Amino acid sequence: MPINMKSRRFHKLVTLLLVCTPLTITALSADDASPEYSRKGADTCIGCHDEQATLDLFHTRHGVPSDPRSPFGRGQLQCEACHGPGSDHAGRVRRGEERPPVIRFGKDSETDVLVQNGKCLGCHEESADFAWHGSGHDDNQVGCADCHQVHNAHDPVRATASQPEVCFDCHQQQHAQSLKPYSHPFDEGKMDCSGCHNPHGTGTTNTLFVRQTLNDTCYECHAEKRGPYLWEHAPVVEDCSSCHEPHGSNNPGMVSLRGPMLCQTCHSQAGHPSIPREADGLADAAPSPYLLARNCLNCHTQVHGSNHPSGSKLMR
Amino acid sequence: MQLPLRPIIDSKILSSLFVAATLALSYMPAANAQVDPGEWKCEFCPFTSGYDAEVDVGAAYVSDDAARFGNANGYDEAGAYVDLGGEGHYANDGYQLNWFAEDLGLASRVFEIDGGHQGSYGFYLGYSELPYRLFDTTSTVYTASAPDSLTLPSGWVRANQTSGFTNLASSLVPQNIESDRKNFTAGGHFLASSNFRFYADYRHLERDGVDMVSGANFTQASILPRVLDNETDLIDLGVGYSNGPLNLSLAWLGSFFTNNVTSLTWENAFTAPAGEELRRMAQEPDNDFQQLSLSGSYRFNAYATVIAFSASMGQGGQNDSLLPYTINPNIAAAALPKTSLDGKVDTSNYAVTLTANPLPKTRIKLAYRYDERDNQTAQVPWSRVIVDSFASGETELNTPYSFKRMQLNASGSYDLFDDLRVSAGYDRTDLDRSFQEVASQTEDSGWARVKWQTTEWLSVNAKGGASSRDIDRYDTTVAAGLGQNPLMRKYNLAYRYREFGELMASISPMNLPVSVSLSALWADDSYTRSTLGMTGSTTTHWNLELNWAVSARASVYVFGGEETIEADQAGSEAFAGPDWFANHEDDFLILGGGLQLAKLWDNTDLRLDYTHTEGDTRIAMTTSASGRSQFPSIDTTLESLRVTVNHKRSEKLELDLSLRYESFDSNDWAIAGVEPDTIPTVLSLGANPYDYDVWVLGLSIRYRIGAAKPATP
Repeated sequence: MPINMKSRRFHKLVTLLLVCTPLTITALSADDASPEYSRKGADTCIGCHDEQATLDLFHTRHGVPSDPRSPFGRGQLQCEACHGPGSDHAGRVRRGEERPPVIRFGKDSETDVLVQNGKCLGCHEESADFAWHGSGHDDNQVGCADCHQVHNAHDPVRATASQPEVCFDCHQQQHAQSLKPYSHPFDEGKMDCSGCHNPHGTGTTNTLFVRQTLNDTCYECHAEKRGPYLWEHAPVVEDCSSCHEPHGSNNPGMVSLRGPMLCQTCHSQAGHPSIPREADGLADAAPSPYLLARNCLNCHTQVHGSNHPSGSKLMR
Repeated sequence: MQLPLRPIIDSKILSSLFVAATLALSYMPAANAQVDPGEWKCEFCPFTSGYDAEVDVGAAYVSDDAARFGNANGYDEAGAYVDLGGEGHYANDGYQLNWFAEDLGLASRVFEIDGGHQGSYGFYLGYSELPYRLFDTTSTVYTASAPDSLTLPSGWVRANQTSGFTNLASSLVPQNIESDRKNFTAGGHFLASSNFRFYADYRHLERDGVDMVSGANFTQASILPRVLDNETDLIDLGVGYSNGPLNLSLAWLGSFFTNNVTSLTWENAFTAPAGEELRRMAQEPDNDFQQLSLSGSYRFNAYATVIAFSASMGQGGQNDSLLPYTINPNIAAAALPKTSLDGKVDTSNYAVTLTANPLPKTRIKLAYRYDERDNQTAQVPWSRVIVDSFASGETELNTPYSFKRMQLNASGSYDLFDDLRVSAGYDRTDLDRSFQEVASQTEDSGWARVKWQTTEWLSVNAKGGASSRDIDRYDTTVAAGLGQNPLMRKYNLAYRYREFGELMASISPMNLPVSVSLSALWADDSYTRSTLGMTGSTTTHWNLELNWAVSARASVYVFGGEETIEADQAGSEAFAGPDWFANHEDDFLILGGGLQLAKLWDNTDLRLDYTHTEGDTRIAMTTSASGRSQFPSIDTTLESLRVTVNHKRSEKLELDLSLRYESFDSNDWAIAGVEPDTIPTVLSLGANPYDYDVWVLGLSIRYRIGAAKPATP
């Protein structure tokens, strides 16, 4: 019996400790819990932040109360869902005292970009196509709000005409290339970067192609190049960028070098492929079919592949 | 014996329950412990409900014809254009319907409509056109008697050289090289529950117009205006599942290309034996590709670890009927070994990425990727008829190229200080190919990066590294089979050493409304083991941008940049060691600036953007026979000015006055002075280098209809 009594006491003590310790920790945690949420939610915030640029949020998907996933869905935390607890921020401050900050978004924000992105990914990790973590933008600590204007009903990065300008803010080399004489129609607002790249990550390489490979991405619009052809051109099936500069080039067809020299970087067969072509073959001298008009393509027109039984030299 | 155990059991159960409850409590949002958002009324929230729209009606006048100017925008011909556009939105209790229209009066028109109930389902429909305008200075003697057939004018005088085409001038008719893409889209999504999301996307792309191809006739050729008429259908179907840290997606892609013109027959303009005047080439065959993908991610609590993966398997095919070896029945040709290719390609793509923060301030990333193109098309002997003229007398095997590419990336970063992050990484790529000179190559790359927020107003991001691409061996037997010089090293297969560096800096001086960003990039490739082919290339790029918020109403920006790509190659006319060398230098300069002035006058805003670009390609040749010579510079100069004045007449009515000026001058020796008969053995289309000055003056009226009203939440 004494042993049982001791045992019972011991178990009661253990139980008490197990019950009390976590509760104490929880209570302490609650005490430590940093800033509290405001008493009235968005009504508190709008009391001060009533400028139109802020209120435009209610023209966006984030401001739809009937969607339970929206920050303004019933029972959600409204402004504080993204900006964090705002009680201290909304409270009184002494004269000269700085108002406690809430989470702010954008390039100029003092809030750590991982905290910013954590807020967005809390809801959007699913729709960020799974591959944000480890993507090129994640590696470079790009903030969601560096590109997106969440309060703007016309978020520029989501419109074809205005998206490149947002991307080019960082990708300045691609901006310059897009203005080269031969490029895709970015400058006319008829093609956007997300036609080829998924900025949220795709599990491909750091180039973030919308399809599995670069070639698969090009085939989205240029499916006729996919084949398989009877006569394939080896570099074509492997990598379009072996010959093409997709962001723009000084050369027609966005190729990386002028023909015929581009072709001569790989083709050295005896006879016409290996002969140097010089300026004496220009139109005002002895016009050369190997140099002028479409140069090599004057005959070998099927550089992307031929499906003609006599097309092994890509002439049919 | 059982009784003494009860307290133990009880205490275990109790303690477990309490621990679980406590843990659950600790993980519940703090909000629940402090406030009840369900009680928040959001009385001041201006939720929108109702319909609002704005409609643009405009007109524009274009001063001159210019194909290049009209490329993608549709303003390729001088004259007046009427334009329509606008957008509208309806919202009510989560139900939405939106429409968007742009350039309805132009060949670049866009119309989109989307709607649904947010959080439940959504749909969209769209139609757009994209004009592709290449040349409007071209002319041809050919007439498309059918989409797949080009005929010469009656009475055409054949000759061995273009100078002998005595009725060429009288036979030429203008032929623009231009086409249009028409794009139909439709799709939608459905949220079956908070975990499952289904989606479907469909896209139908049509392309029609006239393109350029070349019809070879052994030592002669004609550049032909071929009719384009093809279609692509793309279908994406998928389902996504998410549950806490787990996200999964299963998707199917189908892509189907249909060419309505599968061959091109043309009458040879040059001298040909009687009864052998026709020539024929194949056009792009129909093809299809289907791919099944499973991707997902899992987020672990430990060390903020995330694993993401993707696995795709695809199969493509092509089985169009093959044309005979030649269209000319007089020429003896073997029977085809197959009537269609029955081409098949299997693709596999696997990727897995792990990111984690194993130590404070430390982040690591490991990524592996595998891509395979396995061309399973059978190899068959073929007996070519050369340019529909004579049998080669040889048999050739087709070479269905396959490759496997494996990529491994390992990188880590450490926050040395709050404002200084250092990163380093190692990348490796293994590539195996079939039927090519290099069966196996490996590229190792190492890099380091520093990201430093030096002060509140200056941040610097610098990266540098090097990579070495090595090969198992360059198989000269394969090269010999292709007739290649054994010293040739194709640049995508050759040994290469690359060094690269880049710098980005952002400067925002404190208390000044000015920000400056600078970027610079440099990459140097050395093909030190290539005797022939590409031997080296260097790319340098810099860019500078300055933005100045002059006041709350005015902002100004200027930018400038330059990119230079220099490349060296070597060749051998004697089919031995190098006896000629080419040096290429592509230079591209951009300068620009602009300003925005709000409330220039009452309710009147102004925006101005100016861009100046200069492209310059210089090629120098050095040969054993004639020494060094220089091609004329290929240069382009573009001046672009866009000015828009917006006047808000009232809350409902706005006016936009726009002025656009673009000047483009170019010199390109490949086409400058090349008339249809300039090249003795090529009947060309006589395209001219671009040279135009175009003004576009536009006026549009924007009228707002309705206004979304605040709704009760």
